[in-house]
This record gives sequence, structure tokens and C-alpha cells, in this order.
Amino acid sequence: MKKTKLENWLFGFLFAVIFAAGNAWSAQDEINNSGFAWKDGAEIYAKVCAYCHEAQVGHEVQVGPQIRHRKLPITYIRTVVRNGNRAMPSFRSSEIDDESLEKLANFLSQK
Amino acid sequence: MTSQYIALPKGVSEETFDAAIHDFRKVLGDASVLTSAEQLAPYIKTMMPVSDAEHTPSAALLATTVEQIQKIVAICNQYKVPIWMISTGKNLGYGSAAPAERGQVVLDLKRMNRILEVDKDLAFALVEPGVTYQQLYDHIKEHKLGLWLSMPAPSAIAGPVGNTLDRGVGYTPYGEQFLFACGMEVVLANGEVLRTGMGSMPNSNTWQVFKWGYGPYLDGIFTQSNYGIVTKFGFWLMPEPPAFKPFVIQYQHEEDIVEIVETIRPLRISGVIPNAVVIAHALYEAPVKAKRSDYVSGPGSIPDEAVYRIMKDHKLGIWNVYAALYGTQEQIDVNWSIVTQAFSQSGKAKILTEQEAADDPAFVYRAKLMRGDMTLTEFSLYNWRGGGGSMWFAPVSQARGSETLKQMALTKQILAKHGLDYSGEFIVGMRDMHHIVDVLYDKTDPEQTKAAYQCFDELLTEFSARGYGTYRVNTAFMDKVAETYGPVQRNVHKTLKKALDPNGILAPGKSGIR
Repeated sequence: MKKTKLENWLFGFLFAVIFAAGNAWSAQDEINNSGFAWKDGAEIYAKVCAYCHEAQVGHEVQVGPQIRHRKLPITYIRTVVRNGNRAMPSFRSSEIDDESLEKLANFLSQK
Repeated sequence: MTSQYIALPKGVSEETFDAAIHDFRKVLGDASVLTSAEQLAPYIKTMMPVSDAEHTPSAALLATTVEQIQKIVAICNQYKVPIWMISTGKNLGYGSAAPAERGQVVLDLKRMNRILEVDKDLAFALVEPGVTYQQLYDHIKEHKLGLWLSMPAPSAIAGPVGNTLDRGVGYTPYGEQFLFACGMEVVLANGEVLRTGMGSMPNSNTWQVFKWGYGPYLDGIFTQSNYGIVTKFGFWLMPEPPAFKPFVIQYQHEEDIVEIVETIRPLRISGVIPNAVVIAHALYEAPVKAKRSDYVSGPGSIPDEAVYRIMKDHKLGIWNVYAALYGTQEQIDVNWSIVTQAFSQSGKAKILTEQEAADDPAFVYRAKLMRGDMTLTEFSLYNWRGGGGSMWFAPVSQARGSETLKQMALTKQILAKHGLDYSGEFIVGMRDMHHIVDVLYDKTDPEQTKAAYQCFDELLTEFSARGYGTYRVNTAFMDKVAETYGPVQRNVHKTLKKALDPNGILAPGKSGIR
């Protein structure tokens, strides 16, 4: 069936609306395009590990064992972080990527 | 021939799965499609008393954009491959990052972690699923936005999208998190992108300030559900108050829960106490201060006599009511006078503020939670029994003293029958209470693991028989809980599922919905 002028106009209008909607959303999406990434091992330790593995300021208790300055082998750290251990949750590469995990392991073994 | 996968989705052949994986790789690249045992290890560990094999994923997909997710659902529809969506993927005690059913592909959105907007004036945030509370907390501090977060106890490593979608609870005046949700972006199973509420309208700037939009309100059907993949999420933040006064009120007898609840309810409903108050049993707070092995050894639940010794040694009440006042100093002074008058009437309450309790580690972490600061101290609970076993039993109670006493007594009795301790608390809404009990057990001990499973099963059976519904549960018991809400609700859930996801590719089994 041949399209009427009205149908053509409607199609054009709808297309414009959809296109405009797409643009409006894209504009908002561009506010901040960079996702989060860890800066270094010290940051991961402070923002994840230390909450349990170090006594916190203000009389909070230490939940897990100390992990800094113990010369823990890097492979051991990697294994425990990835697999978890009893109450210790596992951490996925999407949370702490492999490269950052190496940096964390190095940070933990520093004096 | 041995499979190259550690698990396969139910009813999907290896050949078909291979084809799906091939297509996933085309969309995401090889590095973002995980299939090896080593790569998938972090997705397998749970705290539930069931074999890890029952919840082993076949693969994990690390998507970062909406467009990728649209392509992923198209592939899932083509090959009938089910995906299990996670955001920050913690969900400890509820199933962690593992799928509900063996062989499901985990769609891991942790790397989709942009904070898209935080509006200081209108006090709202719009974030992606992978954003953690820590990330948002740091962003707010860095930009001096003067806003407070409400988050659950695993604060730093959890996130607002996953926690709110599972209808989790925090401890500030915004503690009933989903009440403060405002606007979602959802990728549907057919690949369409829905923005709920005002977000459906092009060029609208009210998506994060007005919840309802026009027509039936849809946000609710995307919580505790498997009807879509939430890729953006808006919610309200609390402006930092000029003054904050945390306090704890201790009581010495379990029956005193009746007086506590009867005293608090009017204060909560009228808004004198604005935050999600916690009434924590001594055994919920004890792990911060004491070791179980110092008080009891051998099998069985801890006797009351040992609990009283812990209370005495560590300055705990059998009930410890944590609450706070927020506002100007003048407002706080007025409300403090109302609170102290209400609690002083019977002479049973011991009221402590920061002045008396600033050195108390339990008070310190509770105060942090009530002002939205990061702390993981509540994880001390996991040291109580050790061995990494934990399930949250979460029935809802009326905010009525007699009801809370009944629930506490029944829970304690069933736990004791199975040799487990009552580590419970009530989180006070205005008219309801989330009764939260950490069923702690040693997962390295097969007998205790078996007992924990049977105990949890019995708790659900006995509570539902008395009309007490559970508001959230781990993935091993989702079907059982869904059953307790009756066939009509299950049918409606199923009808919606069929309409929105006819191939059943999105998280089959979530909340018992397939």
C-alpha cells in the first residue's frame, strides 16, 4: 500500500523524536566518561584491605590478621585474594585487576 | 571428551555454548570473557551451606557499556544461554557473586563504574552498577558536596545499585534505601533500553527528582527481580546535618525488647528519632569485643549464662539500641529531651552517648554506620564461629513489642536446636522491623554445615507457618521463600517474566522466578 503524506510526516516526526531522545541521553552520558581505576597498591590497601586487616582510627577493632610487613609471597596473596579464605571474601579481577593486584602484593611486602 | 568449561548452562550443549562464547568474545574481546577455572574462582566462593558445585558459573562477562549489554542479551536469546547479573558482587551471606543455578553465565558489571552525576543542591546521585560506596564517598569528599550516604555494613566494598536493587537496609534517616531510589535505566531482555519515571521523556531534567513519572510505576519490578538489567540508577542523598548525636541505650533482659519497641515506635513514626534504629542483641555485638572460645567450647549453642558473662565483661546490654539525632543543635536538644524522658520512665534503660562510649569499639562502628562513614567492623561476626559460613535470616516483624519478643524467642529456640547461636538484631522502620539474624556456622565442619542448612530450612518453615514473611534470602533458598508468598503472587511474577523475557535468559531462579 502506498504511504500517505501524513504517514510519511509521522514517520519523519517519530524518527526525529527518537533521534533527539538518543542525543539527549548521550549528552548526559558524556558528563564523566572515565570509569574508576586504582592508582596504586597503597590505595587498594587503604580502601579495601585495611578496613579489616589493620586497627582503624577511633578504637575500632582489627577483624582479620595483619598482612603488611610479613613478607607474604606474592603467589600466596594472589591466591587468597582471588579464592578467598574462610571468612575472607574473594575479589574478582573486575574489582582488582591483575596488574593492580601485583601492585598491592608489592605494597604489602614493602617495609 | 572432557569439557573445556567448568560448567555448562542447563540444557545447553557444549557446541552451542562454544558458539555463544565465540560471539561474546566478538563483542567484549577475549580478555573480558572469562572461562578458565582460575579466572572463575572468585565467582564460586559463597558462605552458604551447600556445595559450591551447585552455584558454579560457566563463564563471566565483563561488560562496560549499555551497547555491549544489548549485544550480549541478543546472543543469549539466540543460544538460550542464561545470565546472572551482578554489580559490585559482594552480597555476602546472600549468595555472593555466584549464580543461582549451576552453569549460568555471570554478567559482571563491576567495571561499569562511572559516577555520572552528583547534584549538591538537589542532593541526588546517578551512578552505574559497579560504583562502590567507597568510590562515591571519596567523590563527595573530594568535591566537598556535603552529602551523606546510607549504606549497609559491608559499606566500602559494596555499592548502592546492587544493595538497593536487593532492597538492602542502611542506618541513617535514608536507611530504607529503596524509598530513596529515583529513576533507573534498564536494558530489557529484547535489547530495548527503558528509562523509568521521568527518564522516559526526552530532554527531561526531572529523572532523579520525581519518582513516579506517568502511568504504572515500574521501578519496583526491577528490584529483587530478573526482568531487566539496571545500567544506571538514581537515588537521593542526605544533606550533611549541622549536628549529629549518636547514642546507645542498653537493657539487661531479653524480655525488655517489648519495652524498647513500644518506646521507640512512637518516636520513629513521629520523626523524633529519624534514622533506622538498630536493636542489637549482645551476641551481635560481642564479636567486636570478645572471642566465643573464651566463653564456651564444644558443640551446641552458647548458654545464656555465658552470654551474661560476656555482657558483664564487655559492658554490653542484652539489647543495645543504637540510634542518632540529626539537625541543628537546637533541634537535637529538644529531641534529646524527648528521647531521654521516654526511655527513663521504667528505670531499666542505661543511656550512653559519645561522652561515655567514645572508646567503645561497638559504639564507634555503629556511630560510623549512622553517619554513612566507611567501616567493615561488622565483619567481626565472621570470627564468632570462624570457617566462613553465614546466611542472613531476615523475617519482617510488626514494630510491636510482643511480636518482636515472639520472633526472637522462636528464632533462638530453632537455632539452639541445631547447636547455633542467636546473633540477631532488629532494624526499625516506622511500622515494621527487619529482624536480621546472622546464621553463623563453620563451613569447614561438615556436621555444622549440615546443621546450618537444616536450621535455616526450619526457620523459614516455622516462620512462614505463623505468617512471618522473609524479605530477602540467599540463592539456595529463593524458591522456598517464593513458595511461602502463595501461588497468586508467583503466577503474577511468572506472567511478567514471560512477557518481558520470553526465553528466560535473565537470571532464572532469582526470587524463585523462572
